[in-house]
Amino acid sequence: MAEATMTTTPSAVAGREGSDVLLDVRNVTQEFVLRNHGGVKGGILRAVSDVSFQMRHGETLGVVGETGSGKSTLARSVLQAPPPKAGEVIFRGKDLTKLHRKELLAMRQHVQMVFQDPPASLDPKWKVTQIVEEPLLAFGYGDRAKRRARVAELLELVGLDPRLHGGRKARELSGGQCQRVAIARAIALHPELIVCDEAVSSLDVLVQAQVLNLFERLRAELGLSYLFIAHDLALVKQVSDRVLVLYLGKLCELGPADDMFKAPAHPYTLALLASVPSPDPNAGRPETNRVISGELPSPLNPPSGCRFRTRCPRAEERCAAEEPQLRFVGPGHQVACHFPLVETPVAAPTTNGTGRL
Amino acid sequence: MAVLPSDPIAAGQLGALIPPPMARRRRASWVRSLDVYIPGGFLLLLVLACFVWPVVYPVPQPVGGSILDASLGIGAPGHLLGTDTVGNDILARLLYGGRVSFEVAAATQVVGGVVGTMIGIVSTYLGGIAEAVVMRLLDVLLAIPAFILALTLLEGLGQGELNIIWALSIFFIPAFARLARAATLSLKEQTFVVAAHLTGTKRWRSIMRHIVPNVAPGLLTFALLNAGVAIIIEATLSFFGYGIPPPGPSWGNMIADGQQVMSTQPRLILVPSILLLVTVIALNTLGDGLRARWGVQ
Amino acid sequence: MVDGLQLDGAAGAPRGGTMTAARDGRGGGGPLLEVTDLHVRFRQRGRQVFAVNGLTYKIAASSTLAIIGESGSGKTVASRAIMGLLPVTAEVTGSVRYAGRELVGAKERDLRRLRTNDIAMVFQNPERSLNPTMRIGPQIAEAIRLHMDLGRKAAHERTVDLLRRVRLPSPERRYFEYPHQLSGGMRQRVMIALALSCQPKVLIADEATTALDVTTQAQIMDLLLELQAELGMALILISHDMGLAASYTEEVIVMYAGRAVEHAATKELFSNVRMPYTRALLDAIPRVDAPSHTVLPMIEGRPPDLSIRLPGCSFAPRCPDVQDDCRQAIPTLTELEDGHEFACFHPCGGGNG
Repeated sequence: MAEATMTTTPSAVAGREGSDVLLDVRNVTQEFVLRNHGGVKGGILRAVSDVSFQMRHGETLGVVGETGSGKSTLARSVLQAPPPKAGEVIFRGKDLTKLHRKELLAMRQHVQMVFQDPPASLDPKWKVTQIVEEPLLAFGYGDRAKRRARVAELLELVGLDPRLHGGRKARELSGGQCQRVAIARAIALHPELIVCDEAVSSLDVLVQAQVLNLFERLRAELGLSYLFIAHDLALVKQVSDRVLVLYLGKLCELGPADDMFKAPAHPYTLALLASVPSPDPNAGRPETNRVISGELPSPLNPPSGCRFRTRCPRAEERCAAEEPQLRFVGPGHQVACHFPLVETPVAAPTTNGTGRL
Repeated sequence: MAVLPSDPIAAGQLGALIPPPMARRRRASWVRSLDVYIPGGFLLLLVLACFVWPVVYPVPQPVGGSILDASLGIGAPGHLLGTDTVGNDILARLLYGGRVSFEVAAATQVVGGVVGTMIGIVSTYLGGIAEAVVMRLLDVLLAIPAFILALTLLEGLGQGELNIIWALSIFFIPAFARLARAATLSLKEQTFVVAAHLTGTKRWRSIMRHIVPNVAPGLLTFALLNAGVAIIIEATLSFFGYGIPPPGPSWGNMIADGQQVMSTQPRLILVPSILLLVTVIALNTLGDGLRARWGVQ
Repeated sequence: MVDGLQLDGAAGAPRGGTMTAARDGRGGGGPLLEVTDLHVRFRQRGRQVFAVNGLTYKIAASSTLAIIGESGSGKTVASRAIMGLLPVTAEVTGSVRYAGRELVGAKERDLRRLRTNDIAMVFQNPERSLNPTMRIGPQIAEAIRLHMDLGRKAAHERTVDLLRRVRLPSPERRYFEYPHQLSGGMRQRVMIALALSCQPKVLIADEATTALDVTTQAQIMDLLLELQAELGMALILISHDMGLAASYTEEVIVMYAGRAVEHAATKELFSNVRMPYTRALLDAIPRVDAPSHTVLPMIEGRPPDLSIRLPGCSFAPRCPDVQDDCRQAIPTLTELEDGHEFACFHPCGGGNG
């Protein structure tokens, strides 16, 4: 079996925190076979293609992308639900893709997930206390009394009243309350990593702020790491230390949130940023047409070379011929573009190309 | 901060009020529940009549009647509904025949339902080769017409109530399995089932605690509809002489016997036929009513 | 069973926004659509839900108005009431006048004609509004032929022209495609084409871009505004997104618990927020330009239960600036500053936008 200690890669480029790596995703590729009516193979959808990144303990990594970018697939691949077609997911020193079912099940207590549609992620027939107790039961936590006490403690931690809300079912709670229940369930077993897939996207602004602040509070109190997936850039910026941008299953840009949003290097990141309407009365209308054009190409038949080239105002011949490799444009800031918006600093470290660390 | 009443139709969920486009006029709740209460009550009374009446208020034996009492009319002393051509009491035969019908209906639905449902759920939830093999086998079973299948099985097993139950149970297994499979397929993708899996819930527990309770209402209404089918098949088998061996009481036997004297004594065929019809209609109505009430597709 | 109307029951007539001194629609002409003291009440299991409580606004041709609020604020219910699209359990009172004609209580037949000819709506889920078994072109052509005296061929040409106008790529080919063959953005373009097919005077976009990606949203909004200006339509944008309202409209109404709580020209409203609820909404939005892990200023609690009528301001239980009088009387929407209306006894300071 895999050793209990961390296995760091020898060629760690971002290896400045080598020993502190919580999650190391290497060249993950996920594919789905599409079938027409009658089960005939209709093509292969490569939802995530050769994505690599690392996460440190206590860090929040945001993943942004639009429909078809593969961000949710990437999250599911990390959780092995289903496992990726290729690549490694090294979590707490073990490659999850190589674990047996039982070992993987045991690993699940360290990594949990919070979903997009809060009411749907709770069994409609169960009461709140049963839902939060489920992981405790699954991992044989204490006896009945101890579990009950823990459930009450968890509900209070997420801002629910165990006596008032404990006996309710999902349909008797608001969306925000459902998400609090889901969060209580997720943190029940002291996980180290929580994958949030559009966890606040369906909530109203005021409730969203409450839940976001809850995430932040839990991060500080429990030392959690989040893999935070969302289509809303401002949301991702709010919670993330670093951000990863995906387009049609490919990693476009990865870097510190503050740097990246101030000076995006990939034209697609810029397009995303420029499209967000701002409530600032002096901001004016988003000028999307300047930074992006056309429709998303079919993910079944992605463009050659750089996948963004068909919509990129900066695209040239080279973009069609040659797939851009990840390269550094700043400290910890990588981009896969032939003509990045930020020029490469002179003394930047170089990678071996594929973004492999 | 003030604690606000958290009600599902309070602010947050108001969107739920907007469509349904054809909101029906609301009536008192008991009126809306009549589609469940009427057939349910009828079936309850009938079951009590069949199983309890002969015990607490003895009726004549359903078999071994004297030829001297043959063909008595309705209201004859000691024979409320009269007697048939060999002198057996019709009421007694109806009640004892009803026992057979209900026993067959209940037993086949329980056996077929539990076995079929578990096959459907478990194979679908686990997926892989098990799923493929099981489903192809069930396809084969489904492809054989029910009646032929039951006849063939009874040919081998011989007559008798227990054998009918086995034969019909086997017939109902694939239907339940298909339905359970369809429900499981969609439930398996539901976020709460995925969430349970990612929380570390073991597969068996997920099946028993998440899948089964959520498919149960649909399968229960399905079982009610099937119970009617089971009663008809049993009657048909008996009619053709493959079911309950005569002179044993069974609605099917009674119809078969009555057929010979249809022109002279129509009540011998009408009474069991009507009871059979009403029972099946009641089962179907109850199933439909519950289905509507539970919101099952 | 159906008992009499007893509007404005216990809590003392909450005369919502009485917009005094008509804000004359710009662009000459009187207002095209005029909503006055609109109330919508649902009856559910013997309870009443007061979904809209006295909404008043006007919109002139060629102008844009955003109605923003959270779910349950009544923004969608109010717009459906205008269209006569509410279920029979809804009781609508007040007045909605379109070009001088009263719509509240109008016959279904007249409303239907109005819906096809004058007021169109684009919804959040284009897939639910399009017939999945019909090719998109014929769906639009049918709508055109229904109200215009056009032949089959002319309707086809007009449809292709419309599809081109909403910038659906290769419209001649797309004409024969089914809704599921299009992307979400393209389906929304088709919905807009369908809405425009009858040359409406008022277009209501109810969260029309909420389900779309940001880049697509920006493209669709650009398209909507361009068509609005070109065709001289009045556009009512219903959304929860403050950014969308600020970027794309001229005038904004903020709704809370079925009431308009703030109403002003967009620039004025966003640079000079007076209503604490609007302030709270704005503060709660994460900003791209703020550093990571900023704690968001937020308010606790939930929107009120609309089946209970509070004697005071419905925002009072959550308001950071609440004072005693807020709980005793309902503040009405009044124009306290030039062109800026708000319903608040203790407005937050101006100029902190």
